Amino acid sequence: MSSRIPLIVCLVAGLIMFLQYFSAHPVARAMFNQVNDWWQIIFAFTLFVGVAAFMNNSMRAIRRGKERPFKTVSLLALISMPLLAIIGGTKIGSPFLWTFDNLQAPMQATVFSLLAFFVASASFRGFRARNLQATILLVAALIVLLGRMPIMAYLSDTIPELTYWIQDYPSMAARRAILIGIGLGSMTTALRVILGLERTYLRGQ
Amino acid sequence: MRTSSLRLIVLFAVILPLSSFLIASPIIAADSPQTETAWFDRRTLPALIASLVSIAAVLYAVWVIGRKKHLFIREIPGLKAVEEAVGRATEMGTAIVFTPGYGGDIQRPTTIASMNILSNVAEKTASYDCRLIYPTHDPVIMAVAQEVVKEGYIKAGYPDRYNPDDIFYISSSQFGYAAAVDGIISRTRPASVFLLGTFEAESLIMAETGNAIGAIQIAGTDSTIQLAFFIVACDYTLIGEELFAASGYLTNDRVILSTVKAQDILKLLIAVFVLVAVIWSTLNPSSDWWKF
Amino acid sequence: MNNQKIRWTIFASLFAVIVVSYIITLKWRIPTSPSVQKSYDLIESLPPSSMVIVSFDHEASSLPEIQPISYIILRHLFSRNQRVIGMSLFAEGTAIGYQTLNKLAAEYGKKYGEDYVFLGFKPQHISAILGMGESIRQVFPQDYLGNYLAEIPLMSGVENYRQIAAVISLADGDRTVQWIEYTGKKHGLTILGGFTAAMITTYDPYLSSGQLYSAVGGIVGAAEYEGILGLPGKANRALLSQTAAHIFIVLLVIAGNIAYFKRRKGGK
Repeated sequence: MSSRIPLIVCLVAGLIMFLQYFSAHPVARAMFNQVNDWWQIIFAFTLFVGVAAFMNNSMRAIRRGKERPFKTVSLLALISMPLLAIIGGTKIGSPFLWTFDNLQAPMQATVFSLLAFFVASASFRGFRARNLQATILLVAALIVLLGRMPIMAYLSDTIPELTYWIQDYPSMAARRAILIGIGLGSMTTALRVILGLERTYLRGQ
Repeated sequence: MRTSSLRLIVLFAVILPLSSFLIASPIIAADSPQTETAWFDRRTLPALIASLVSIAAVLYAVWVIGRKKHLFIREIPGLKAVEEAVGRATEMGTAIVFTPGYGGDIQRPTTIASMNILSNVAEKTASYDCRLIYPTHDPVIMAVAQEVVKEGYIKAGYPDRYNPDDIFYISSSQFGYAAAVDGIISRTRPASVFLLGTFEAESLIMAETGNAIGAIQIAGTDSTIQLAFFIVACDYTLIGEELFAASGYLTNDRVILSTVKAQDILKLLIAVFVLVAVIWSTLNPSSDWWKF
Repeated sequence: MNNQKIRWTIFASLFAVIVVSYIITLKWRIPTSPSVQKSYDLIESLPPSSMVIVSFDHEASSLPEIQPISYIILRHLFSRNQRVIGMSLFAEGTAIGYQTLNKLAAEYGKKYGEDYVFLGFKPQHISAILGMGESIRQVFPQDYLGNYLAEIPLMSGVENYRQIAAVISLADGDRTVQWIEYTGKKHGLTILGGFTAAMITTYDPYLSSGQLYSAVGGIVGAAEYEGILGLPGKANRALLSQTAAHIFIVLLVIAGNIAYFKRRKGGK
């Protein structure tokens, strides 16, 4: 019985949200708004769960002496940002925004910029003319790389045009096919969950 | 009590948004004017038809195809390699890192599909006594993953080997999460890395770090752009829908396998529709009945 | 050379290429792509005082790439006297959006609450996007500064998407997909995107199907926009280093293949 209740809740909630989409009636709209509010409230509570678990985990690791410097920095950051926001507010010129602009933003941008370096090393390793298919891929990649260069517009019309062609036709066709597959996969997974056929998220009951 | 309330939170967090995915997948709308207070909004008629056809296909597959003796599903190398990845980590005495990517919330079907694989991996790591590290960016995913892994360890018969501290929430910030996972991979040097879920720009950062330490990497995502990165940097890549088929493939569950067949039926219907529309619009360029 | 050494050599060389090329200041005018031109034309065609939602759907990490896009689009909007409703679907986008809007509004002498407003952040983006279609006030009862929306002159008469001329989603991920899927057809909203270069191709299918009206992608897109408006800025400055990095990667691919064929020949 205990495993049936969540499945019934799942079916009813899923059906309500599904059916309300097709109705413009005020009752359906009001119900939708109500569910939306619940959704926001539930999410707020899950954040507490995450923060509590993170603090718990970090404190235990610090006590055990495992990865102590990393965990200490994480905990300090976790505590200091809300504190700064509570004490000094979040308006322009506040310590919170100063910390955000001068510490958080540059640090995150640094991690994002790693992408450029990894793209370079992956290109070096991955784009090899091993066989016919790989050679076609390599040539297409080189054309797109060259065509996306702003300077190429001064040197040739053909390569940028070819780039657009590759992106708009062969590449687009392949991506659309994958997207249709993903869309159908998403939909059947959603249906499996709503119909109670997929239960892994409930410990596989 | 704590677990049951957590499960209820998770349940609502999954179901409410998930039903909107059901609608968003075939999202289409007609041009007819909307009736402000009608019980049925006529603009949604094409979406309703598409949804009903999809539901019918799934039910047909479950009730009719599911009864057949043999349900063939082609081999998926990435999933076949799960055993090898866990075995390698056990042999080398190192851990396995499994992460679901930054792009997915628990309501996202990709995340649910990734949980199915996690469940299978957890059973294997429990049997081999191999450490499984699961960092995530979402507290709900963390809670679900803890339950899924715990269940996997119980199923394998080794509940005592389960360590909830290894399944943890890091940060809801994309590159905070990416940096932390990179750090974990660099410090623990796992023999195998599973990158399965919805990934965004962090995909290559993680995959290249795993590649640099020589880990065997199994990746899969529904993001077409990140797939390109994974194919270059990982050993096995599950392309889009292969991730959704994983649950049936790994468990051999007939019901789930038959819903995978339903996907094929729907894909065939879409292909026929596209073909008819292409021929029609070629013969009659001014026609637009297929546009909605 | 082992793999690790090759990797470090590539990283160091790329770093050097980018730094050196960034030092050189070169102002150039590049041709405008159709998608950027379409974005520009749409904003030009909107009647003055149209309501435009600008959603800062990105994090601080992508600021160097997204900021030139948000700056040039907001400059265009404010110069055309459009009214801007700022918001964010990312917690981090809140601080960014608030500061960006204030900075650009000050450049054009715009007044908070009359010409622009910043609603702040709402978690659970799908729920927020769907909810705003019913009632913006229900999703955001107050703005970022705590003022009730009912008391803000700009928001009087703004109930839901029906009063909105366009949504501009500045994203480093797939948040714009949710704007497209949940509002595009259902509410008939015109959606423009501003994306990082890494994400722009994700949106190609939506662009070609018309579900996404147009997009400004990465540094190149921002530089093209700067070019149309005649306001060369950060994006224009970064063009040279981006081009240099592209050339470097092309050379790397060629070098990788030469090394591969040499090794294969040696192996035989």
